[in-house]
Amino acid sequence: MSSQVAFRSVKEIPGVDYYTAGRRTCAGCGPALGYRLISKAAGPNTIFIGPTGCMYVANAHQFLTSPYSVPWHHTQLGGGGAAAIGVASALRTLMLKGKRKLEDINVVVMGGDGAMADIGFSGLSMGLSYDYQRLLYVVYDNEAYMNTGVQASSTTPWGATTTFTPAGKVKPIGNTRLKKNMALVAAAHPKVKYVATATLWPPLDLMNKVQRALNSGGPSLIHVLLPCPKGWFSSPADTVNLSRLAIETGMWALWEQIEGHFKLNYRPKPRKHVREYLTLQGRFSHLKEEDMDKLDKMIEEEWVFWEESAKVGRLVVPY
Amino acid sequence: MSAIKPMPPITIEKPKAKVWNGARAIAEAVKIADVDVIAAYPIRPYTGIMNALASMIANGEFTADIIVADSEHSQFEIVKHASAVGARVFAGSSGVGLAFAAEAIIVTALSQLPVVAAIGTRALDDPGNFGMEWSDALMFRDFGWLISWAKTVQEASDMTLVAYRVAEDRRVLLPHFIALDGAAITHVATPVVPVTKEQATNFLPPYRPPYKLDPAEGPITKAQHIAPSLIGPEQRKAVDVATKRAKQVIVEAWKDFAKYTGREYPPFIETTGMEDAEFALVSMGAYMKDIELVADRLRKKGMKIGTVRLRYVRPFPAEELLKVLDGVKAAGVIEFGYSFGSPFGTGSLYHEVATTLYEAGSKPELLDFLFLGGREPTVEHFTQVAEKVMESAHKKPQKKAYWLTLRGEDI
Repeated sequence: MSSQVAFRSVKEIPGVDYYTAGRRTCAGCGPALGYRLISKAAGPNTIFIGPTGCMYVANAHQFLTSPYSVPWHHTQLGGGGAAAIGVASALRTLMLKGKRKLEDINVVVMGGDGAMADIGFSGLSMGLSYDYQRLLYVVYDNEAYMNTGVQASSTTPWGATTTFTPAGKVKPIGNTRLKKNMALVAAAHPKVKYVATATLWPPLDLMNKVQRALNSGGPSLIHVLLPCPKGWFSSPADTVNLSRLAIETGMWALWEQIEGHFKLNYRPKPRKHVREYLTLQGRFSHLKEEDMDKLDKMIEEEWVFWEESAKVGRLVVPY
Repeated sequence: MSAIKPMPPITIEKPKAKVWNGARAIAEAVKIADVDVIAAYPIRPYTGIMNALASMIANGEFTADIIVADSEHSQFEIVKHASAVGARVFAGSSGVGLAFAAEAIIVTALSQLPVVAAIGTRALDDPGNFGMEWSDALMFRDFGWLISWAKTVQEASDMTLVAYRVAEDRRVLLPHFIALDGAAITHVATPVVPVTKEQATNFLPPYRPPYKLDPAEGPITKAQHIAPSLIGPEQRKAVDVATKRAKQVIVEAWKDFAKYTGREYPPFIETTGMEDAEFALVSMGAYMKDIELVADRLRKKGMKIGTVRLRYVRPFPAEELLKVLDGVKAAGVIEFGYSFGSPFGTGSLYHEVATTLYEAGSKPELLDFLFLGGREPTVEHFTQVAEKVMESAHKKPQKKAYWLTLRGEDI
């Protein structure tokens, strides 16, 4: 296992898509872009597992079409972790018993924040504790339950309004819980081979992380922040821009942990004020200047730990 | 002229019986079925099956991946998806564990994946009740799973093998529960004649799903989001047709099972003394042995009473049941499952039998006898039941359902 780079430039991205037409995602859908990049990086020998979520409801359906040109199977909202273990186990056992040709097959779960950070949390944790190879859990995080109409999940950021955490006269902030850091949770599993965070920008970072995860020799997790115009009340044209701003304001830290070694992938220098990220999104429109400053302060404090972790090469838990 | 050599006498080797409890016997059948993926999560009384399987695998008796799951929900998701890839799978549970897994259990049938699972039947909580009740297994009567009910440890073991054969048949492709009365089957050791490897190979072909979740088979999208306007009712109908087709496949499978092992079972309904019976006791499961004993004793006293045992709840053998109950004056359903607030306060099995008898030319007086909350019944209770049934033929009963083993007076 190394920090190998599979795609050095945009030119090296394969032209073929395994997530193609036949979907009905929103304009500017971050998870759809994520799906496209991740499936390109994983390649044709991949099985996708899709727990219930917006990427379940928004894909296929129309005229019984399917956007997946690799095998894809739905699993229940809380079943992502277990379903992947079932698939990985079946493949390995059938190969071991000579019932199937020996081959490297990727099993990738595209689980939303609700599926992975909430209802399917226990199954995900079980999945990360096994030693199946080429098994990748992608937490595609658009920070709320989007297909049911934008309800808060465990990864909804502080200050965001959702239909379950609206900003009102008595509760002016909206969501007052802090975002659950699923990559840190994954990193807490003993001997987990590869854990990373990513977003749509830079795209090669996301794709190379998928490659590294699948070649890591064990179960892996990538927590990917994917902007959602519908639930973030942002312009569809801003999806990739928001990914970039999340990085540059420090709201989202890009890091990876390879066999226990921590690596910070990007340092925003100078770090932009989080206001630039928040003001593009309607879900933060109720926040006052002092709230945004408070959030910026929280980011600053958190970054001390990321820098410290980078210095010692091991995770220092920031909370 | 050379002397004709006498032929050596044909000897059929009598298979040696082992003394196994139900849990072990099921595990041995799973082993002989060459199962690939097993998912385990503990809950009494089914756990012994997984304990036995785990030690067999650990000792190299057969190759399978046994996954220690984090919950029953995961357990059933694991086997569901392993089955979709093309593995032969096994799971199981009891009581509220099954309720926790309900979501995964339901989608397995609607995806038409031939998962086989055992239920060590147990009362549902609260309070924590380890007694035997049928309410856990009967909860799943409406979701497209085939459900068979074993009377003996031997039958439980044989049913497991037959379950794979029926579930994986291309005409069926439905998951299959084998219900074992908790403790009465799971924990009771009796002599069992195991199915040999050779018999199993002849009887049970390898699992070959029509569509595999495997890149080598090309892209398939399974269980995608579908608008009801597109295939809603048609998909339900497909599952229903499969359950109906299962009836024929079950008959064939048990016939073949007898051919290869020499053990014959009636496919759907087992009766004793029903040829000229005026009274019938209808039930299923392990306590059937006691019920048969009671009926036999009464028969020796000249009473025309017989017993009817259902071996399958799904598909429900309605035609077969109608036939055996034809001409009976009164029948009593003996059961361990209930539906609170149900019509006339009757149990789950009663509803099935009563629905069937609605189609009968002459309907017998039908009574329900409930053993609820897991308290153990005795032969005396079943004798009381039989007497009540016989009495009802000439004296109109005051109510439909009677609770037994209850402190206080119900019967």
